[in-house]
Amino acid sequence: MDATLRIQRFVEGKSWVQEYTVAVTVGMTILEALTTIKEKQDPTLSFTCSCRSSICGACAVRVNGNAELACEILVENLLKRYDTNTLFIEPLGNFRVIRDLIVDWDPKYAKLKKIKPVLQPKAEFSAETGCKQSPEDFNKYKKYAGCILCGSCVSECNKNTLNQDDFLDPFVFVKAEKLVADSRSRSPEEHLQAVQDAGLWRCFNCQECTAKCPKGLDPAGAIEKLKEATFRMGLSQDVGGKHAKAIYDDISESGMLDESKLNIKSEGFFMAGLRLPMALRLMNTGKMNPLESHPVNPEIATIRKVVQTAEKEAK
Amino acid sequence: MKYAFFPGCVLKGAAAEAYTSMFKVCEKLGIELEEIPNWTCCGASHAQGVNDLAALAVNARNISIAEHMGLPIMTVCNTCTLQLRTAKQRLDQDPKLKEKVNGILAEAGHPYKYQGTSEITHFLWILDKHPELLQGKVTKALAGVKIAGYYGCHILRPQEVMNHEDGKHPTSLERLIKRLGAESVDFAAKRKCCGFHAQLAAEHDVLTVTGEIVDSAGKSGVAALVTPCPLCQMQLDMYEPEGREAVHSHVQLPILHLQQLVGFALGMTKAEIGFDRHVSAQDKWPIG
Repeated sequence: MDATLRIQRFVEGKSWVQEYTVAVTVGMTILEALTTIKEKQDPTLSFTCSCRSSICGACAVRVNGNAELACEILVENLLKRYDTNTLFIEPLGNFRVIRDLIVDWDPKYAKLKKIKPVLQPKAEFSAETGCKQSPEDFNKYKKYAGCILCGSCVSECNKNTLNQDDFLDPFVFVKAEKLVADSRSRSPEEHLQAVQDAGLWRCFNCQECTAKCPKGLDPAGAIEKLKEATFRMGLSQDVGGKHAKAIYDDISESGMLDESKLNIKSEGFFMAGLRLPMALRLMNTGKMNPLESHPVNPEIATIRKVVQTAEKEAK
Repeated sequence: MKYAFFPGCVLKGAAAEAYTSMFKVCEKLGIELEEIPNWTCCGASHAQGVNDLAALAVNARNISIAEHMGLPIMTVCNTCTLQLRTAKQRLDQDPKLKEKVNGILAEAGHPYKYQGTSEITHFLWILDKHPELLQGKVTKALAGVKIAGYYGCHILRPQEVMNHEDGKHPTSLERLIKRLGAESVDFAAKRKCCGFHAQLAAEHDVLTVTGEIVDSAGKSGVAALVTPCPLCQMQLDMYEPEGREAVHSHVQLPILHLQQLVGFALGMTKAEIGFDRHVSAQDKWPIG
C-alpha cells in the first residue's frame, strides 16, 4: 500500500508543502518513511534522529496536528487512526524552525535555566558520605527523571501557542517538580519560587502535554504538584493561586462554588469591580443574581470534616 | 436506563439552562436521572492544586453516594467527568490509597465507603454508545442546519482516563450531530482549549483563544457551535464580545450546550431549552 506524506518544508526563509509517495511496509515507522524519502527520493529533506529506540528524543514531529515520536509511531496505525492514505507532517509546534522538521532548542534551554535546574544538596551530604536517600523518597520524583527532552509536550500546549514569554514549557515543569520533590535538595523553595515567577498559575489545564508525552510522565500532573507545593511551603500566590484557593475553600464553606463571589475572592474587590460590565451582562440574561443567597449543602459539617481530616492526613 | 446525575456547580448557577434542558431532554429520550443528593463541587480542576488528598476524598464521597444509590454516574460537564473519573481510577488502582481515603470518610462521619462499583460517564458518550435512544424521536428540525462540534479538552484528555475514543482524532460529536439530522462541519479549532480555567490568570491569552475558536467556527459557515461542556459554553458565549475584539472578528455565533442541540432535534422550542439565557447571538439561531 502506498501512502502520501505531505511534508512542511522550510529552507532559508522559504516555506512550502511537498508531497512524497512511500510504499508502506509492515511495521514501518514515520522515521523509516522519512529516511526512505531522504535516501531514495530527496536528499534535501532535513530532520533529526539518533537512537531509533524512543530514548534520545531527537525525532519528535507533528503528524496531522499531534506530536509523535517518529521512531515509535507506525505509519499503518496513523493511516488507520485518521482513516486516510495521506498524512501531514510538520515540525513540532511552539518551536522556532531551523530547517524543514528541525527545530531550535536554544530558546527552550534558556527557559529551562529560569528554574535554576541544578540540585544543591543539603549540608549533611558530602563527597565522602554521598547523597543517600530512601527508596520511598526516591520514588517521589523517579517518574519525572524519565524525561527524554523530545519536546512533544510543548507542541500543542495551548498556553504556549498564545504566548511563550510569560510561561514555561511543560517539560520544564517536569524538571522543576523533580527538583522540588527531591528530599536531597537544600532549597526546594528556590526552584518553586522561580517556577511560580515564570508563570506556574497560567497553565490552561488543557492536558495536551500529558496526552502527548511518549513516556507517560504527566506534565500536567507535575504542574498540579508544584501548585500544591506552593501552599505546603507557604509561598504567596498571585491571582491564579488565589482563584484555586477560593474554589477549594468554597467546598468547605458551602459545598459548591459561589460564582458571584469567586472573582472578588480571587482578584480582590477593586479588580473585580472593574468587571462590572460583564456582571451586568450576566444579570441581564439571568445568569447572575446578586440578591439570591448561595445555598449551603445540608451535609456541610461532614464535608468540612472530610477536607480537614484529609489535610491533617496529607501532612 | 437510569443514572445518578452529577450536575456540577455551573448547572446550578450561571448555566442553569443546561440543568433544566438536561432533565427535559433526558425525559424525552427515556433516560431517568436521579440527582446525587448533597453532592459537592468536584474541585473544578483547581482543588487538587491546593490539597490533592482533600480533593480526592471529596470526590470519593461524591462517588460513594452514587454507589449507595446503586447507579452509574452521568455528568454533562467535561471537567466534572475528568475529576470524578481521575479519582475513581486512582482509588481503583491503589488499594492503599483507597483504604486511606475510606479512613478519612469514616473519620469525618460520612456513612458510605468508596467501593468502585459505579461507572462514571458523560451524556455525549451515552448517546454515542446508544443510538437507539434517538430512534424514532429525531424530527426534521435540524435538516440542512450546519453545526460545528467543539469538544473542549477534558472529555478527550488524558487518554488513560477519558478513554471513550481516540483523543487525538475524536469522532463522537460529529457522529451525534449527524444522527440529530444536522450537518456536521469540521473547523480548525475544534480541539483547542477555550481557556476557561485560566480566565483570570492569563486573561489576554484566554480572550484571544475564545475569539479564535468562535471566529474559526463562524467562518466555516455554521449556524451554531455545540459543545458537551458547560464551562466551554460559558467561556465562548459569555466572552464572545471580548473574544471578537481580541482577534478583530465580526463573527457572532450562538453557542449551544449539547443537550440544547438534542432538544432542538427532538422538536423542542427555544423557551423549553432556556435559549433566552444565552449572552451572544440569540437572534442568529434559526430553529425553535
